[in-house]
Amino acid sequence: MIEQFVEAGSTYARNIDNVILLIGVLVGFWWALSTGVFFGLILKYRAKPGVRAKYVPGTSKVEKKFINIPHGLVLVCDVLVIIAAVQVWVHVKQTLPEPDYEIRIIGQQWAWTFQHPGADGELDTDDDIRLVDELHIEVDKNYVFHLEATDVMHSFSVPIFRLKQDAIPGRTITGWFNATITGEYDIQCAEMCGIGHGVMGARIHIERGEQHAAWVADQTPTVATVDAQ
Amino acid sequence: MKKTILVFAALLLAGCGNVTEVGAERGKQVFRTCAPCHGVDGGGMEATGAPSIAGQEQWYIESQLVKFRDGARGDHPDDVEGLRMRPMARSLRTHAGDVESVAEYVSSMPLQAPDHTLGGDAAAGAARFALCVACHGPDGKGNQAMNAPSLTDKDDWYLARQIEKFKSGIRGADPLDASGATMVPMAMTLPDDKAVADVLAHIATLK
Repeated sequence: MIEQFVEAGSTYARNIDNVILLIGVLVGFWWALSTGVFFGLILKYRAKPGVRAKYVPGTSKVEKKFINIPHGLVLVCDVLVIIAAVQVWVHVKQTLPEPDYEIRIIGQQWAWTFQHPGADGELDTDDDIRLVDELHIEVDKNYVFHLEATDVMHSFSVPIFRLKQDAIPGRTITGWFNATITGEYDIQCAEMCGIGHGVMGARIHIERGEQHAAWVADQTPTVATVDAQ
Repeated sequence: MKKTILVFAALLLAGCGNVTEVGAERGKQVFRTCAPCHGVDGGGMEATGAPSIAGQEQWYIESQLVKFRDGARGDHPDDVEGLRMRPMARSLRTHAGDVESVAEYVSSMPLQAPDHTLGGDAAAGAARFALCVACHGPDGKGNQAMNAPSLTDKDDWYLARQIEKFKSGIRGADPLDASGATMVPMAMTLPDDKAVADVLAHIATLK
């Protein structure tokens, strides 16, 4: 249902969408029901000639049912939401798949620096490719990222992946994603980080295998030249 | 009621209009974005790495804003201050003429006395400055024809950081930054921090 309206680009995006949908449906149901009852009672017991207002303390057994039954049902809904949310949390945040590639992401005022592995496929080697505000990845591969911040708190957010992870100075936070579609999409900072926060945007380029390999081959000598300087 | 509707309609229409003005007045509005780092008087703040800019040459401010905006400067992962400036310059894309307007306004602001924080031996620096004279002039006032800005109105800590960036390839290495590239070999002639401090001490004596 949500997929008709919002594009998803990672293996876990739909899991997150489904939790949001579940919460939306449950809350929507209770909102519609309680609003209906509220306005229905207002209409039913509106002021009428010759009828005096009556104070209803809500202490009788019948009256208490109006509170206790919905209360119990709402708690059941809460449990459903918790079960769904914890399942997604464990999958997205607590489980680290075997990486095909590792990347380093550094947030600073007001840019994202992406350190990609070079032709050797290994991070923290001489042929790493460091780019500002430009992340290149291969579709259908597990990427494990190491997220850092150099100055203040930032939040690495890729809406197409439904990924949002705070970056905290002094800490290296590890996470992962696996892109399911190709194309170019937005990256943003989702944590207020100063006057340039609103313009701290970047782009993610999701490429097919051969495209990505060509990009890596193209970038590696350039970086080696810059490093040599 | 009619009056209220008219007022709302007028406000809506006012909001729809394009900002068309260009010049110092528009630049003053745009400068509000710059003030948090560069200071309301444009005098700069060392803590944020934002140099003094008030009263400096309009052509130079404009050219640097264009470089930041187009990725010729401030695009290196290790350029901490440049990466702060880059998105601010890019935000000027939304309204044509803002680069020129804010440069005009900043240039019209009263010049702020530059910081002299590094010490250094001015006499020793005078000899090293001989190489800079070709572009920046014997009085250090710059030469637009050579794309060489005035040095006498710039904070010494800022100049020192830029020399270091030129030396390490953080600045002047981008193919788009042709004028910056000419500074790279010049910066290389200053072998250490003392040499940099000396030449900056000499620049501080220039009137």
